[in-house]
Amino acid sequence: MLEKKAKHRRAQPILLLLTLLLLNFQSFAQTADHKITGKVTDAASGQPVAGATITIQGRRNAVASNKDGVFSILAQKGETLEISSIGHVSKTILITTDAGSLNILLEQSAGKLDDVIVVGYGVQKSKAVTGATAHVKGEDLAKLNTTNALQALQGQAAGVNITSTSGQPGGGFKVNIRGAGTIGNANPLYVVDGVITSDITYLNPADIAAVDVLKDAASAAIYGINGANGVVLITTKTGKTGGKNAGQISFDGYYGYQNAPPKTKLLNAGQYATMQNEAALNSGLAPYFTQAQINALGKGTNWLDRMFASNVPVQNYNLSATGGSDASAYSLGLSYTQQGGIVGGEKISNYERYNFHTNAERKMYDGALKIGEHLTFSFINQYGILGAYNTQYGQEDGGIYGNTLRSAFATSPLLAMYDSAGNYLSSLKSTVYNGGPWNTQEANPYALMVYNSQNNTKTQKLFGDVYAELQPMKNLRLRTTLGLNYSSSANHSYLPVYDNLSIYAYNRYETINQGSSVSYTVNWDNTANYTFRIKDHSFDVLAGNATRKYQGSFVGGMNTGSTLFATFDRGYLSTSNVTSISMSADTSAANKQTVTHAMSLYGNANAVYAQASFFGRINYSYQDKYLASAIFRADGSTMFTPGRQWGYFPSLSVGWVLTNESFLAASRPWLNFLKLRASWGSNGNDGITAFNYLSLISLANAQYNFGGNNTSLTNGSYPSTIGVEKTKWETSRQTNIGIDAQLLSNKLNASIDLYNKVTKDWLVAAPLLATAGVSTNPYINGGNVTNKGVELQLAYNDRIGRDFSWSVSGSYAYNKNTVDNIPTADGIIHGGTNSLFVNAPEFFRASSGNPIGYFWGYKTAGLFQTEADVQAYAGKNGPLQPSAHPGDVKFVDLNGDGVIDGKDKTNVGDPNPHHIFGLRFAGNYKHFDLSITTNGVAGNKIVQSYRDLGAFGNWTTAILSRWHGQGTSNSMPRVTQNNSNWADFSDLYIHDGSYWRISNITLGYDFAKLAKLKNLSQFRLYIAAENLFTFTKYNGMDPEVGYSSTDASGVYSFGQGVDLGYYPRPRKTIVGVSIIF
Amino acid sequence: MKKLKYNIFGLAALTLLVLSSCKKYLTTTLTDPKQSNVSYYKTPSDAFTSLVGCYNGLDLIWNGEAIPPLMEVFSDNCFGGTGASDGYGWEMLDEFNKVISPSDVAIHSGAWKNYYQAIYRCNVLLQNMDKVAWGDSTALRRQYIAEVRFIRAFCYFDLVRLFEKVPLLTIPTVANVPQAGPDSTYGQIMLDLRFAADSLPSAPYTSVPTGRVTKWAAESLLARVYLFYSGYYGKSAIGSETAATALAAVEDVIAHSGHALVTDFTTLWPAASLAKKVTYAGEANPEVVFSIKYSSTGDYNGNITGNGWMVMTGMREQSLYPYGYGWGGCTVDPNLVAQFDQSHDSRYFASITDIAGENLAFGKASANREYTGYYMKKYSPVCDSLNNPLPVNNYLVAQSQDYFAIRYSDVLLMAAELGSPNAVAYFNQVHQRAIPSATAATSVSKADILAERRLEFVGEGIRYWDLLRQGISTAASTIAANTTLSLINDGTGTQPSASTLQANITATRGFQQIPSDQITLSNGVLKQNPGW
Repeated sequence: MLEKKAKHRRAQPILLLLTLLLLNFQSFAQTADHKITGKVTDAASGQPVAGATITIQGRRNAVASNKDGVFSILAQKGETLEISSIGHVSKTILITTDAGSLNILLEQSAGKLDDVIVVGYGVQKSKAVTGATAHVKGEDLAKLNTTNALQALQGQAAGVNITSTSGQPGGGFKVNIRGAGTIGNANPLYVVDGVITSDITYLNPADIAAVDVLKDAASAAIYGINGANGVVLITTKTGKTGGKNAGQISFDGYYGYQNAPPKTKLLNAGQYATMQNEAALNSGLAPYFTQAQINALGKGTNWLDRMFASNVPVQNYNLSATGGSDASAYSLGLSYTQQGGIVGGEKISNYERYNFHTNAERKMYDGALKIGEHLTFSFINQYGILGAYNTQYGQEDGGIYGNTLRSAFATSPLLAMYDSAGNYLSSLKSTVYNGGPWNTQEANPYALMVYNSQNNTKTQKLFGDVYAELQPMKNLRLRTTLGLNYSSSANHSYLPVYDNLSIYAYNRYETINQGSSVSYTVNWDNTANYTFRIKDHSFDVLAGNATRKYQGSFVGGMNTGSTLFATFDRGYLSTSNVTSISMSADTSAANKQTVTHAMSLYGNANAVYAQASFFGRINYSYQDKYLASAIFRADGSTMFTPGRQWGYFPSLSVGWVLTNESFLAASRPWLNFLKLRASWGSNGNDGITAFNYLSLISLANAQYNFGGNNTSLTNGSYPSTIGVEKTKWETSRQTNIGIDAQLLSNKLNASIDLYNKVTKDWLVAAPLLATAGVSTNPYINGGNVTNKGVELQLAYNDRIGRDFSWSVSGSYAYNKNTVDNIPTADGIIHGGTNSLFVNAPEFFRASSGNPIGYFWGYKTAGLFQTEADVQAYAGKNGPLQPSAHPGDVKFVDLNGDGVIDGKDKTNVGDPNPHHIFGLRFAGNYKHFDLSITTNGVAGNKIVQSYRDLGAFGNWTTAILSRWHGQGTSNSMPRVTQNNSNWADFSDLYIHDGSYWRISNITLGYDFAKLAKLKNLSQFRLYIAAENLFTFTKYNGMDPEVGYSSTDASGVYSFGQGVDLGYYPRPRKTIVGVSIIF
Repeated sequence: MKKLKYNIFGLAALTLLVLSSCKKYLTTTLTDPKQSNVSYYKTPSDAFTSLVGCYNGLDLIWNGEAIPPLMEVFSDNCFGGTGASDGYGWEMLDEFNKVISPSDVAIHSGAWKNYYQAIYRCNVLLQNMDKVAWGDSTALRRQYIAEVRFIRAFCYFDLVRLFEKVPLLTIPTVANVPQAGPDSTYGQIMLDLRFAADSLPSAPYTSVPTGRVTKWAAESLLARVYLFYSGYYGKSAIGSETAATALAAVEDVIAHSGHALVTDFTTLWPAASLAKKVTYAGEANPEVVFSIKYSSTGDYNGNITGNGWMVMTGMREQSLYPYGYGWGGCTVDPNLVAQFDQSHDSRYFASITDIAGENLAFGKASANREYTGYYMKKYSPVCDSLNNPLPVNNYLVAQSQDYFAIRYSDVLLMAAELGSPNAVAYFNQVHQRAIPSATAATSVSKADILAERRLEFVGEGIRYWDLLRQGISTAASTIAANTTLSLINDGTGTQPSASTLQANITATRGFQQIPSDQITLSNGVLKQNPGW
């Protein structure tokens, strides 16, 4: 019989082989059967497991447990029972007696087959999903006790690269799913309970039930408006209808302290003076200090120690109630979060967030109609240190100008913090150098931080939706959702008068800024969903449309002059009573000038931005074996000119569950589940500036001063942009092949994905020639970017003995980013100048054949050791660097033309991580729980520059290894006053940015079972440490540098991995309690 | 099944409803309250506001790169100077030698972009002139066109003198336009200036507020362009403009404009007036034929209305009343100082800050590269008597001193040079105003006039072009001969010889480096000037 079949299946020799192999294990021994009964219970919850499958190994009969978990089956002594249930680790039991009652505890599995995945306008079981998605449970995020949910997501989902843009509390995150597809905003789309947003910092991680990351085009397609960079779906906690439980109340609170990671070592006063002497000598000048003077200097001021505060508090309290009945469900939450900043402490920067969260659902008319809502109100109150303004990510602190921390790196240790009266010492009044000031251009960075950090922003956000779902007949559901994303904010800041800290740093007149803004997005989504079966073919059809409209306005003003109260707290526009200031303190002089300083005011409405979409989806399944899904959507956006507003995006995915094939049935003891997936699809992106298709007239900043009065201006106007009518939707096309598998009695869960994502018709603000006449580059379509990669997600869980259970989960992703083409004459988007140090050249680019933002500079070949070396280092026209001295750096004449010039610059480093990984261990022993979470990246480079080229800035201790005589160094050039070896950008600036961070360790103990109080199901105390240790070769304070430099046009910030004095992520230790009634 | 049909109809109806409202949903008006090129340029008032935007282009052109001081650096008047630890960009320009600062490959990028932004504003307005409902204001239309064309010509004249071959755009375009030959550019400049001269009213300069382009400004600039073009290229005509038409233009200014010299040369300049305790003549004085207007309202929020380049020439880091501090650019060559009759020529004190001569307790010499003991004074920032820099709101971007682009003394000397029958009288007006005790000349040669021009216009960005229009060989040899080579500090450790300096200038033909970022962006359509 078998042989016959095999002949028929000659076309499938592999299957034949497999089948033969597997069937050979079958045993046909048979004796008398006895009745075995048992009860299956979930080990974690103690609840009975219904529907568990109980089979006898080697036999065909199987039974299922009933709703109480009870089953009975006929078996023989010596046979093995296999108990399996989806979502649990399978268990085998050898029957040792002829009859009896078994009590079977099933561990929950790391396998996620039964997890309900949110897929956009619906849910799907993981086992039926045909796209590439990552699912992270809310509790896995909440357990990490981070202020922002995105930080907790780091390393948990393969292919999702998350980088904090600042360690300052309230700092943002850059999220790249499967690499950067654009030099513009590559952040994904966030959809919270069905409402689109660009920012989820308003959420308390404790309110999140699950995060689903849609990575491939086919998954993202149904939410695909602007889904080209991937979609992150967030579901907030809801109650459960039909629960027997009347409800539960939980409280979670923690309090802790934050400290700086190990600080960068700077030169102390003696080392600094020695190095200044050496630089002077190397520059043909006399040394500044005698050895006796150097000895007397001592250690001086360590400015980094001054800037960082210790034991800065962080706290979070969360109170929630959930519950439900057959007809309704609810979830209520109230939370408070506070985090101080480690730079300056919580008086200088602080973040507070209050959240009110309520989700409710009610069934009416016997379940034919469901109505419900999700609503989160959050209030954020924050202030912080000054940062360079960045158009893409808002306030950031990482640039070279106005970077509070950077000045601490560069200020010399010779300047003291305070004068004898306890005031901040001005560098003009320092007596450290021959009884006088050392450098009158340097200012006390701590004092500057105190003066310049008096600001406050309060933001209110109301986010949520109201929905109704009608089920007029079985299998048909009509749903309408009205969502709102409302945000308003008010800010003010105050700059006090302060005397000279240096010749440049002073403020003579108080300045007040005040502003506010409001924005609101309304969306209305309607879907119809119909499911039906035709024999073994089941279909799930969805059709719908969605519209979305964004509006907003802002107003603000500035006033200069003395204020009524001269304090920040009362520093609002109207408390400044003087609006005219004398241009000269010398009123008797002939040049007495007065300027009327009218309060400057500004305000405008934002451009209305509207989108409309129509979409349809068909999910098909044949016996849960063959799966297919097709999606088509049409998206319209007001970003494009009428006539080009609509884009069309199809996608298709298929899946094959091999383990549901009969030929693999026998392999199920070790291969519990195996699915092959493949998908192809396209997503759109309309992320450009409004009215790109029009040439806009600017009525601002075009005045002229006719006549003899120096302050009266006549209004002017000019065309500030060039309209490009041809611009259309950008499309990212992605092909994905994946495997999902569960093995070894569901203990091991694995997913592998391979993808190829090409961004076509790339929307890029391509640099215009100067002759075009505008400084704003319009967006055009053109060029493309490819991201290719592999993702691997693994989880293993097991139990040793009765009391110890453990799991290890890991994610790994490899991504290769390549720009294929840029639609400009030279094919380059140039990085900005002046962004690495003052007067710095361009050092990063995007150009064809290279990764986005690659570092562009000279390769070096060590240092000249002797004068003979200089002469010997020759190209075809003689010595390449004839004016170099021993100790100077050798630049490589890459093109061999005998000259070192810009043509020799090349790709000297890639800031994009090639490998992104995370590894997590969790274990429970009796009432103890322990989890260790780590994440890391590898293969990326960081550019470090803490110092301008001026002669007198301080150095890090790395300079101690500089060349100071033949053979002393071949990598760190000699010091000179003009820093000529550092003036051009070369690989001297490049550092390895790989790291592996122990991001969280949590140890908890649950007292609930000891207390044995009625209704108390958890009383867990825990301690946790965050960012405890980072394994890295990088010598800066934090290898996770999220600051991005802007390009030459100032539009893009794709210059990643640039450490200019970056605000590091704090080290946190907390104690917390988690109580559930 | 019936129920299903009903529901499907309902769904279809809903979808249709949404569909039909969708088109409306996506239709945008300019809800961001901005005007577009479609909605704008309707009324004469729109045209005037746009015209002011073109004038603002004049504030824009030197924002970011201090071109007027650099025009002095190119000449034999001064060195690059600037801070002791600054880059060597200005030394590179001073010596016309790219080797001195090889990384400065786009040093003029900012100015290049700014000039073309100003030109773009002019071109767009000219293109849209006919969309405006002028009604019976056709004279106004002609006047606005004349003003716009003057501004465009002013920008192109700078560009063509600085870079020689530049893209010549008279309509807005994003195309990759190759460089035009100098004849085409000068031809266009002359057409624009002739149109302006012929179209603007023959009213006294006082009939319009200072800063507005007048017929007199157009005629004066026309003469200046003629003198430069004919001198450098050795050609006697540009289009229909000749020496005769240029002379007629400036004679017309002298005869009909109402412009005159102020009595005391010192009062033309704020810092000199303060130092000498005389009353500053102000920015609307009769001598100003055309000025670029700056105000004290400039800021860092995009309001480019202040003079942002003056601070380059201030004394390095230290204010000494009334001289406000700056970055110490354009340190004056002692050779220039030696040309003055210091005890009689009022222009010496008005033009040059003499640290020793004025007993200034200056202590920052070592912070100033190529320090000579002399700074440019005409466009020096000022401070109050407590040495606080002025204006207090922001001395870096809110300096309000106008740039006197064309003074009446220049008109007189141009007329003299172009062969006016009144040449001697014109010369004496200028010479005797500066040196009241001087005896009147009875005859003047071209050399006399050029020598007088050097002293008259120190620090005003004119000397270099006066040299260059005598031909590159004269310009190169004069600069090389007049430069005090021992004061050069360009970071190479050695001073160039006079012959090296002369050779470098000759190699560039006197023109500047085309910014490499623009060459790259154009993918090589733009060609670099020789020597760079």
